[in-house]
Amino acid sequence: MTALLRYQAALLARSQRWLAPLLLYAAVLAVGVQGGQPVLGSLGVAAAALLPVTAWAVHLCVGQEPPAARTVVSAAVGARRVHLASLLTGTGCAAALAVVSTAVVLLVSAPVTDDGAHEVARSSAALAGLLASLCCVLLGAVVGALSTRPVVERRGWSVAAAVLGSLLVLVAAGSPARYAVTDLVTGSRTGTFHQPVLPLLAALAVAAPVAYFVCRTAARRG
Amino acid sequence: MGHRYGLRGAWVLRGVDVALPARALVRVEGANGAGKSTLLRLLAGIDTPAEGRITGRRARTAYVPERFSATLPLTATDYLVHLGRVHGLRTAEAKRRAGEWLTRFGAAEHARTPLAELSKGTSQKVAVAQALLAAPDLLVLDEAWTGLDAAARAELDRAVAERVAAGATVVFVDHDPRRLAGAADLTLRAGDGGVGTVTAPVATGIAPGPRVLVVAVGPRGASLPTPLPGDPDRERGAGTPGSDSVRLTVAASHSDALLKTLLTARPPWHIRQVAAMGPPEPSRTVRPAGSAEGPTSPGPGGSVRATGSAQPIERPATP
Repeated sequence: MTALLRYQAALLARSQRWLAPLLLYAAVLAVGVQGGQPVLGSLGVAAAALLPVTAWAVHLCVGQEPPAARTVVSAAVGARRVHLASLLTGTGCAAALAVVSTAVVLLVSAPVTDDGAHEVARSSAALAGLLASLCCVLLGAVVGALSTRPVVERRGWSVAAAVLGSLLVLVAAGSPARYAVTDLVTGSRTGTFHQPVLPLLAALAVAAPVAYFVCRTAARRG
Repeated sequence: MGHRYGLRGAWVLRGVDVALPARALVRVEGANGAGKSTLLRLLAGIDTPAEGRITGRRARTAYVPERFSATLPLTATDYLVHLGRVHGLRTAEAKRRAGEWLTRFGAAEHARTPLAELSKGTSQKVAVAQALLAAPDLLVLDEAWTGLDAAARAELDRAVAERVAAGATVVFVDHDPRRLAGAADLTLRAGDGGVGTVTAPVATGIAPGPRVLVVAVGPRGASLPTPLPGDPDRERGAGTPGSDSVRLTVAASHSDALLKTLLTARPPWHIRQVAAMGPPEPSRTVRPAGSAEGPTSPGPGGSVRATGSAQPIERPATP
């Protein structure tokens, strides 16, 4: 599996296709996160923006090999593992981005609530921001995995499904991502917030069966 | 097992029940669209059968698709090293074998060329190298010869013989019925949604390719190592008194593997003569062993690599 991940990561790194989602994310952060603003609200924006970016990264990793190259690797280790490796590569890159963006937001933001009345502990803000980002990364990966090969084969439908799916997951009631982000944003107003552990666990509980399902389907269809 | 693409797709194969022996060359025949490629993909583990299952999968499987033109942002060597690691090799070993196989297929000068810039033929060589560097136990070739030049095709024939001699199962499809003719241990025929075993070799009237004569002398009383690659025709030589010389005639693609088996047998056999021959005549004339008479005709591509010429090499038998 390590070799597969290295192979997928090398393909992604050399292809330079990662540049577009990274620029999109940087643009969103540049607009949504200003130096000296309350930290929790900025963390919420950074986490929410990661969701579509992760879906994009998963699309890139799943689609970066031509079919012939994919069959060769599938024969060596099995089609399921090949698909899982591409999902993990996309998700892993997004998770690394989550860590970096959380750190950057913490550095540039002010550790206060919106009205400036209460202090916000940097350590607990850091943890909350990280957990919320990872929750969004996992759900973004779910959206990405379900909106590309082998579930959606046509390119146009695939992009439309990813955009709509990301939006839905961010705004739909009961979505762990919405819960985690809203908690950060309201916490920024009131000064009290929960660590988004439950949303992260819920996201994991969604991501695992989805990964199993798409990998199985990928093996069935080649 | 059976397979169809998608839940509502038509069944491509159904009720397939085949067993692939170890140390065997398996040819798959069938008309276009008969399900040959699907069978190969299922055997290689690329697709999971929609019904039934495949058991007893070999440890290391490699697959070569037809027309491998991978526009990947890697050089040929980088790609092969990555694939070698995916197959479970260490980086240094993968690098060594990548160089070795690219050289064998005459693509060494493209080792540092990005895959996207390679010609179709050279891409196919990379695909073949990728499969062979893993020394797979199950090698699946879906018209892997397509696009290769003559030298590389002959090299692939030899590599296949080597893999079989090393105990692997090699399954192949090729539109050229002369490909490895007579060497297949088992022939499967895909058609009518199923796969059957062709028991008797079909008399196609196609002459097998060039052959190579190997005269070997074994230790007194020793029997030939079994199995011998390429299942050569044997003739006990009576020419040299006091020695057990044997004349073996084998397909040219299997000559290297045959020599290797003989030389590495315990106790080893001595090679007294290697000569290229033409394709077999309907009734082969029996020549006395040890006679100076040369081969009938070298035949195209029939030269033995070790000699580079059609001339027989005489070697004194070590006492």
